[in-house]
Amino acid sequence: MVNPDPLSWLAWALFLASAPLLAGIVNKLKARLSGRFGPAVFQPYSELLRLARKETVYSTSAGFISRLAPVIVWSTVAFATLLLPLGRPAAVSFSGDIILFAYLLALGRFFQILAALDVASSFEGMGASREARFAVFAEPIFFFTIGSLAIVTRQYSFETILAGISWGDPLFVVFVSVGMLSLFFLMMAECSRMPVDDPNTHLELTMIHEVMILDASGFDLMLYQYAASLKLLLYATLAALLLNPFGVLGPALGLLVFGATLVALAAALALIETLMARFRLVLVPQFLLFATAIGVLNILIFTFSRQP
Amino acid sequence: MIALFVSGLLLHGLNLILPAWVRDSRRLNVAANLLNAAALLCGLVFSLSALLVYQRVEYRFELPAAGPVVIGFDGLSLFFLFTFQLLSLAGSLYAIGYLRHYIERGLSLRGHLWFFTLLILSLQLVAVAHNALVFLIVWELMAIGAYFSIVFDKDKEEVRRGGFWYFVATHASVLLLCVCFLTLHELTGSWNFDDFARHAAYDPKTLALVLLTGFAGFGIKAGFMPFHVWLPNAHPAAPAHVSGLLSAINIKTGIYGIARLMMILPALDAAYGWGLLAVSLISAVLGVWYALAQHDIKKLLAYHSVENIGIIGLGLSIAWLGRRYGLPELVVLGFAGALLHTLNHAIFKGLLFFGAGNVYWQAHSGDIEKMGGFARVIPLTAVAFLVGAISICGLPPFNGFVSEFLIYKSFFRAGDLLRGYAPLVLLFSAVGLAFMGGLAVACFTKLYGIVFLGANRSGAAPSRQREPLLSSVALLGLAGLCAVIGIFPQTGLRLIAPALGELASTAQAPAGWASPLGQLQMVFALFLALVAAVYVGKFWLQRRAGVRLRETWGCGYAAVTPRMQYTASGFAEELVKLGRPMLALTVHWKPLLSIVPIASGFRSHCHDRMENSWLALNHAIGRLLGAFRWIQSGNIRHYVLYTFGAVLFYLLCALVW
Repeated sequence: MVNPDPLSWLAWALFLASAPLLAGIVNKLKARLSGRFGPAVFQPYSELLRLARKETVYSTSAGFISRLAPVIVWSTVAFATLLLPLGRPAAVSFSGDIILFAYLLALGRFFQILAALDVASSFEGMGASREARFAVFAEPIFFFTIGSLAIVTRQYSFETILAGISWGDPLFVVFVSVGMLSLFFLMMAECSRMPVDDPNTHLELTMIHEVMILDASGFDLMLYQYAASLKLLLYATLAALLLNPFGVLGPALGLLVFGATLVALAAALALIETLMARFRLVLVPQFLLFATAIGVLNILIFTFSRQP
Repeated sequence: MIALFVSGLLLHGLNLILPAWVRDSRRLNVAANLLNAAALLCGLVFSLSALLVYQRVEYRFELPAAGPVVIGFDGLSLFFLFTFQLLSLAGSLYAIGYLRHYIERGLSLRGHLWFFTLLILSLQLVAVAHNALVFLIVWELMAIGAYFSIVFDKDKEEVRRGGFWYFVATHASVLLLCVCFLTLHELTGSWNFDDFARHAAYDPKTLALVLLTGFAGFGIKAGFMPFHVWLPNAHPAAPAHVSGLLSAINIKTGIYGIARLMMILPALDAAYGWGLLAVSLISAVLGVWYALAQHDIKKLLAYHSVENIGIIGLGLSIAWLGRRYGLPELVVLGFAGALLHTLNHAIFKGLLFFGAGNVYWQAHSGDIEKMGGFARVIPLTAVAFLVGAISICGLPPFNGFVSEFLIYKSFFRAGDLLRGYAPLVLLFSAVGLAFMGGLAVACFTKLYGIVFLGANRSGAAPSRQREPLLSSVALLGLAGLCAVIGIFPQTGLRLIAPALGELASTAQAPAGWASPLGQLQMVFALFLALVAAVYVGKFWLQRRAGVRLRETWGCGYAAVTPRMQYTASGFAEELVKLGRPMLALTVHWKPLLSIVPIASGFRSHCHDRMENSWLALNHAIGRLLGAFRWIQSGNIRHYVLYTFGAVLFYLLCALVW
């Protein structure tokens, strides 16, 4: 349940604080790969600070949803990270917390979509519709990936599932690499990264996440942007934790491997974003179904390897 | 204690003769509904206290033909009785405000309230009748009460049509149930459920007949696919307080029946469990997909009931598999998930239908494409509806999450405990549940966003309206219950504990089967504290930095109109298109082809393929029987000849034998 260990909570606070850094690293790497110098890795912090101090402008069509949604969106992502064991035992952990994790993020998405529909803008309706559509295909990826690990390890919380991963078993090497791959795909979809959505574009017609927050400003926009970078770190962390670095290597070396994995994932993301263009929106469900198919592999391997 | 229950029934009975005295519709509306509410309060006190201080009670008396009749208050009956009474109470309170609109239109309420009371009364009796004959009689009374409650606004053609769908479905259901219970009676020589349960020597073939007719009969009532077709037709036809009760509790009588059959019959064959799992999964996924394609608010909610019935069925199928393979943990988890979801769905679906009723009276139509911005017009309804929408998507911290959590857990445990390909199937089922969760989010963001948010699409800018007090009490009360069961899951578990206690498996299941649901309130409290803290921080910072109001940014375009907003069909279009093989989508589109503006338009409509198939079957039977129509010549001399022929035939028979 709720872990009284202050170090777990400290790890969580550090996690929250370091989220914009990963986004900064991705941006820096992207700039370097395309031959530019790019902004400093700490640039996202300055941007968030700037937004937090700005005046907020609400649409005259906006009601209580627009005022509540940024808070819910940020809180759900922040709370979901409490369930992950970040070097220490997770701050909140119980059997079945993988379900709470998925549903918390869905709650955030629910409010994000509603906030987009709240301002009576056709552009934001467009983004809302896309977000709702792609989420339908993103949800199964998570459940196939984490769910099959849950069935394999017979555990139902992140902490025990991840602790149950051992490098001795050759099957686990397959499980972990397949799981990391599908989580990486999920990260690209859920965090509005390149082949699915372009985080840099400012053409409303082509966007998903950015177009939903067109009418957000000030502290609200800060919360949305912060939540987006948290989400990126959240999925990258989940993928990195599949390696079980802390359990296998101990705290110091584990932290090193964990950090290196995060940077490697950021580099992969930056590389893909440099080399690839955004998919046409009609192709996104196919991309997501492909990712789902990868996720199915684990449970197939498990089932058939167990057959007599 | 039983005196309270009986006095509740007597008060309902009083209500049945009330229309003879009170002739004024306005007074009758208040009097009859308050009398019903008082009766239900008595009943609720009884069933709640009986559930909390549980002791199995039975009353036996002799009836001619039926033999000893048992009125039983076991855990399952009490739980369903409680659910029925709770929602009937909310429905009665809601009806007072809602029916005023009909009074203004000059409709007489006398007949309607009579049948509405009959519906509520017979629903309660269905839950406690443990004698098959009495059960069938009150089941029919319930069907009659529901039918006449649906066709209240009978001047409208679509109301009569919707009512007819219900009528046909409920009769098909009772026909199958008659076969089921008559077979059981033939086997055991008794009408009582206890004797059915005590009968040990069921041979597989007879059992198959009983189970298939029973599951199909109750399945029609519950609205499993492909028997769901009456729901989306009957619900929009009924007034909101009736469609709320239809969806919240009337279809749950089907679930009660299936659960009861599972309790009294042995689980000899796993095939029924897997079959129920498949049917439930199809109902759930397709139900929400069809819902996504609807433009009519009540039709959309009706399809969502099909989805939720599917989710309940998933729990029941795991329970069946658990019984078949002797795994008590699965039995308890599956049953608990199914029963809790029954209660939860009753609460939030009642809430959503009542909310839809309030919306209906503001928009004067159920077509959501013309709506928008109702959060400003009816804010209390908007808040309650939001809670219902979050709950029905199974999102924390509301009650839908708790029951879906149990069903997920039952899937994972079953994937662990069952051998062979079972883990594969069960993981796919869990993913199916997640997939329909995603679709439900899409569906309810669409519904809530289009109806309550944005600007009104019909061009009018309606101002804030007064919401009737008692209706709002009912709505907010149900919303409060969603939160209570969601944040304190042990309250829900407490209500189903007696029903689970009667399963032989509960005693054998590991003690922590429901963990960690009992302690989830800590987690939810923490989450709500985080939300509150962030909100306060935001409030404080925004007060320092300042807040301004401006019109929505239109990318520089100045002549923005509300009709440029996304519509419900536009929002769901791509997802609906992906479901094309299952969903028949017809589009009427007159595109703008010339440079001179001509009349153009776009209309899309989603047909239910299964409904079309049932209608096609109906027509085929009609055509087949039409081949014999020449027999009915209409000429009286031919009929005399038939009669003569028949008499001659019998005479010859008598001579030969």
